[in-house]
Amino acid sequence: MSSLLNSLTTELRRGTLTLAVLSQLRKPQYGYSLVQLLEQAGIHIDQSTLYPLLRRLEKQELVTSSWDTSESRPRKYYVLSDFGVETFLQLKKEWMENSNQLLALLKGDEEDGFN
Amino acid sequence: MGLIEIYIQEVTRRLPEKNREDIALELRSTIEDMLPEDYQEKDVKAALEQLGSPAKLAYGYMDRPMHLIGPRYFDTYVSLLKMILPIAVTISLIATIATFITGYDGKEAIMNIVFEIIGFGISSIIEVGIQTFFWLTIVFAVIERVDSSKGTEPLSQGLQKWTADDLKNITYIPKKKAITKVEVFGGLFWTAIWGTVYFYADHLLGVYEGESQELNFITPAVNQDVLLQYWPFILAIIALEVGLSIYKLIQKQWTKGLAIYNTVLQIIVSVVFVWIVTNPNLFKNEFTVYMTNLFSITEVQLETWVIVGGIIIFIVSAVISIIDGIRKARAN
Repeated sequence: MSSLLNSLTTELRRGTLTLAVLSQLRKPQYGYSLVQLLEQAGIHIDQSTLYPLLRRLEKQELVTSSWDTSESRPRKYYVLSDFGVETFLQLKKEWMENSNQLLALLKGDEEDGFN
Repeated sequence: MGLIEIYIQEVTRRLPEKNREDIALELRSTIEDMLPEDYQEKDVKAALEQLGSPAKLAYGYMDRPMHLIGPRYFDTYVSLLKMILPIAVTISLIATIATFITGYDGKEAIMNIVFEIIGFGISSIIEVGIQTFFWLTIVFAVIERVDSSKGTEPLSQGLQKWTADDLKNITYIPKKKAITKVEVFGGLFWTAIWGTVYFYADHLLGVYEGESQELNFITPAVNQDVLLQYWPFILAIIALEVGLSIYKLIQKQWTKGLAIYNTVLQIIVSVVFVWIVTNPNLFKNEFTVYMTNLFSITEVQLETWVIVGGIIIFIVSAVISIIDGIRKARAN
């Protein structure tokens, strides 16, 4: 892949990462379990991006965190707050609308003979 | 275990104290999650490489900007720099020259002083330039960090959000009418130079002879007493010229008013010049004798050359300046 295409793809994905992370945090998750969940869904996220992102979401009060020390090693669990759920639902709606509009645009393109 | 510890230390040492412990704990548990049951050093290396450079990870955790001046303030910063830098440099240059002249004891050869002024002038330009650049940058870097408004919109020069009304405060300046900063500050500088030459003419204007490395001042060209009779007019012209430069700086383009001002000033300057230069007592006898011997011409010839030549050059340049001003003022 050319470096230009690479940077454009990264830019495209950047905005969707927050949404992807929020969608998986209805149930409490710790860092690495979240990575695996997202990987299973085919979404690759740099770990050096994910962990700071989780902290930022916590600072913005979209998620809350708690340490679980009952297992062999302590793990920090993140889960959506009420505010987080509300914001996530709005973002989701926004995304659905956006992608429908974009889809219509791209389909129009195909009908014009571009591929 | 060693590599993991070092990695965590490399990340946390870049972070604020209060977050270190928590992030270190989370990182360690994450890294251990990534490793298989019985791991070897190569497993650790693979896991750490997946996490990426510690510096990059640390900067991800920080809220602080990773730039000195961001897009929000950059335009304001550059505009201010462009405005302040030439003003600061001109003032420092004029101050340097003034210091030398007021401290002049009349003993040292003037050409040596000129070279000294050039040397000090260059170093003061560099120093003032660096100081201005440094302090302005520091101020903006601090503003960038303490600004808690979280806005990302670039700000206009008044540090407000841009609106269409801002355009009303800006006059449209066509290229043909524009007055450059070089023109303004060059003008101010020229005034400072000829003003200095006028008041110190008996030290500056005259015959110099080169004598092993040093330039010796043989004889002044003019009678300073005669020249200084005209001082009120000269002072008035200096004031008018400085006024013209400031007027240019404010207007930024040639206007009808500016062209009229320039025309009147050029005429006044020409009249005063002709008046002074035609004073029969202006040139010192020693100078006239020296020059007539040097070029083997008569006194009358010399005076014709110097006076007529001077007047022609002066009036031609005045006329060029007047026409140039009017032409630019009328251009569209």
